[in-house]
Amino acid sequence: MTAINISQPEGGLDGGSPSGIGNVLHVQPLSSQESFSQQQVPMSADKIIEATNVSKWYGTFRALTDVNLTVRKGERIVICGPSGSGKSTLIRCFNRLEAHQEGEITVNGIRLHNKMRNVTEVRKNVGMVFQHFNLFPHMTVLMNCMAGPMWIKDVPEAEAKKTALKFLKRVRIPEQANKYPVQLSGGQQQRVAIARSLCMEPAVMLFDEPTSALDPEMVSEVLETMTSLARDGMTMVCVTHEMGFARAVADRVIFMDLGRIVEEGKPNDFFTNPQHDRTKLFLSQILRH
Amino acid sequence: MIKRLGTAAFAASFAIAAWTGAATAGEVLDRVQRTKTLTVAVGTDWGAGSHLDESHEFVGYDVTIAKQIAASLGVEVKFVTPSWDLIAAGNWDGRWDVAMGQMTPTKERAEKLDFPATYIWGPTSAVIHKDSKATKPSDLEGKVVGVTSGVTGEAYANHNLAPAWLNADPITYQFKPGKVKTYGTSNVAFDDLRLGDGVRLDAVIADTSIALDAIKAGYPLRVLEPALFNSPGDIAIQRGDKEFSDKIAAAVKQMKDDGTLSRLSMKWYGVDYSKEQ
Amino acid sequence: MLYQDTVESEVLVHKPWFIAAMFAVVLAVFLMVNLTGTTFGELMRPVIGAPMQSGIYGRVAIAFVIAVMFCVNIVLIGFAPLKAQIGIVWIELLALFFSFFKAFNLSMPFIWENLPYLITQGVVTTIYVSAVSLICASLIAIIAAIAKLSSNGFAYAIANFYTSFFRGLPLLMQIYLIYLGLPQLGIVIDAVPSGILALSLCVGAYMTEIFRAGIQSIDRGQWEASRSMGFGFGLTMRRIILPQALPVIIPPMGNTFISMLKDSSLVSVLGVWELTFLARTLGQPTFHHMEMLITASLIYWIMSACLEVGQSRLERHFGRSKVR
Repeated sequence: MTAINISQPEGGLDGGSPSGIGNVLHVQPLSSQESFSQQQVPMSADKIIEATNVSKWYGTFRALTDVNLTVRKGERIVICGPSGSGKSTLIRCFNRLEAHQEGEITVNGIRLHNKMRNVTEVRKNVGMVFQHFNLFPHMTVLMNCMAGPMWIKDVPEAEAKKTALKFLKRVRIPEQANKYPVQLSGGQQQRVAIARSLCMEPAVMLFDEPTSALDPEMVSEVLETMTSLARDGMTMVCVTHEMGFARAVADRVIFMDLGRIVEEGKPNDFFTNPQHDRTKLFLSQILRH
Repeated sequence: MIKRLGTAAFAASFAIAAWTGAATAGEVLDRVQRTKTLTVAVGTDWGAGSHLDESHEFVGYDVTIAKQIAASLGVEVKFVTPSWDLIAAGNWDGRWDVAMGQMTPTKERAEKLDFPATYIWGPTSAVIHKDSKATKPSDLEGKVVGVTSGVTGEAYANHNLAPAWLNADPITYQFKPGKVKTYGTSNVAFDDLRLGDGVRLDAVIADTSIALDAIKAGYPLRVLEPALFNSPGDIAIQRGDKEFSDKIAAAVKQMKDDGTLSRLSMKWYGVDYSKEQ
Repeated sequence: MLYQDTVESEVLVHKPWFIAAMFAVVLAVFLMVNLTGTTFGELMRPVIGAPMQSGIYGRVAIAFVIAVMFCVNIVLIGFAPLKAQIGIVWIELLALFFSFFKAFNLSMPFIWENLPYLITQGVVTTIYVSAVSLICASLIAIIAAIAKLSSNGFAYAIANFYTSFFRGLPLLMQIYLIYLGLPQLGIVIDAVPSGILALSLCVGAYMTEIFRAGIQSIDRGQWEASRSMGFGFGLTMRRIILPQALPVIIPPMGNTFISMLKDSSLVSVLGVWELTFLARTLGQPTFHHMEMLITASLIYWIMSACLEVGQSRLERHFGRSKVR
């Protein structure tokens, strides 16, 4: 458990709306976000991800256009935007699940390009959580968590198991360790996926719409886990529509549309005083209900 | 007696298409003497010529002769059982040195194989169901006749048997079948004939010795006299090794002269087939 | 199992129209064959008199009795619970099958005499050839499947040519090609290795397609997750993709193995003393060939059945991560 306990007992939604907004209502009041994040992230901190003028095409379709983004150590960034705006594509470029064609991306000091031989070095240090969990269905939960350290980092089995159990405890499902993924609920599976990434002890975690495929009542348990990670100083880049989460946790919110970064800012400014019409329209649509 | 004229066209075409020519003189003999083994191709289902006894050892007329040839060369004998197609296709690549099987020497075969010695002269007959009214081969005119594919009997039925062996008599065809049915083995042809006279077949053209075996095994059949024709059965070796050929010929001649062949033929066939009839 | 509705339908074999139809069909079929001369005719002797003289009356009577027996049988089986139904039908079919074999009037002493040799020589060789081929074929198939899925044009072309060639040529030709053709290149290999090589290449070609389909059936997300953890290609293939593809691969692979077991008989043309070779040749000189052929068929059947059991065991083993 984290030092600052932000979680409530599971299912303790106190009658609130099961939508994303409702879920984060109970994480919001726990601390003063502004001061907290500013203390944690001095501007001089190491750059973990640096993207300059990144462009990407799928055939003739331009998915990303001149994107510039720097992620510093300890920083928590939320990327939002309408579907098809290129936000998933962007973060998938950060561990090179996708290739960019123009511009430069440097992760942990390693430049990503077509012919790189050390892509494993990058991926080892970049955890990724997917919309559809993508757990390995033929392995137990425990094995899902142990596989990475054992096979990539040559960690001895006993130690890998200890680490795995530690992080399963961290996401509050150590009792499911010996089950197979299909035996778990969606929320539990996503928390296992987070634990799996954590076991690699990455420098940065990428979240690609981690709650979009979940039933409404399971969203909160995943968001709580993510929030608690943020509290612990994990560097995170989250693509999500959970605006409550963004408001509570993010140091910066980035709004993308049509493959470009349209606007970015501190959550308070972003939500209360958006600059661009496109952002205003998006926020009005997403926050209306 | 297995006297196949043609072989499976496929196996033969390989051997011809990529035929590397004959063995160099003395090559086979050298190998036999070096390894102290004569490797002989025989069959497990060649009737009295070569088959397995109760303890699954090779026995038969061909087998005994092969053993004696090996003994005269002063080497051990080893038997292998490639299919007839592979034997007749030639191009043995040293996998075996000698093929028994009473092969009828024809012109086509002589291009691929040498035939050092004839060791059997066998009759081929028309076989009928015992209820059949036929009394002589000419009664089978226009009837349904079964033959084994690729053997001299088939050629006889189709009137294209061209004897190519030494001193061959021209063949006189005693009947023209109305329909020729071709089988993989003579046993299946006999199975069809035993169903009854004219049910599927009116007659089968087969080696007389095999027909007699079938009758002995209880098949309700009868061999029509006289035999349709006689043909020689030879030992085959790979082409070109004259020394080896001479050694085999000498060994067989010795057996012929001292009466061993006659004795063996009487033992295995009950008839002396070792002389030209 | 088909996906069953929760509403039980009426049992088909208890519907009067169905029973009537079955009765008519069976009656018609047995009217067409004359069974008066058989054992069944003898059994009917009290009713129809001397079987051979009973004429059309005997035929109708026998067909009628058989049709009645058949209909009573299916109606009764219709009452049994599912498991019993399966068992009874199996036993009945088996009994019919054996009575059919009995009609060949086989010499049992000959079978018993040769059975041990058929097993110690024939079955052992067949299993040896099949098992070695099976392992080689699997290895070839994995490599070829990966090559076929790869973006390397060279590897793809080779794998594609390979599967096309070896699936397109009859196995017998491949066996001849290897046995007779390779010596032209100076490689003389014996009958057994030739047979194993031909079988491996042929079965490998079929299995390539099975493996390819299996690998392709795995969700892209698995590749992405594995890659995002830093797993390389080999590790991903070995630990993530192939283990998940196995449940998809096993049923068609079981099929292929069973057919390969029987295809292995083709190496008998090279004089390899496997089951079919012995079955074909052991009985020939004494005209007991049907005995040997039928015995060998049953042995093949038993071996296939063992493979089927193995297949279902494996399916269950790999299906365990799918159980909720």
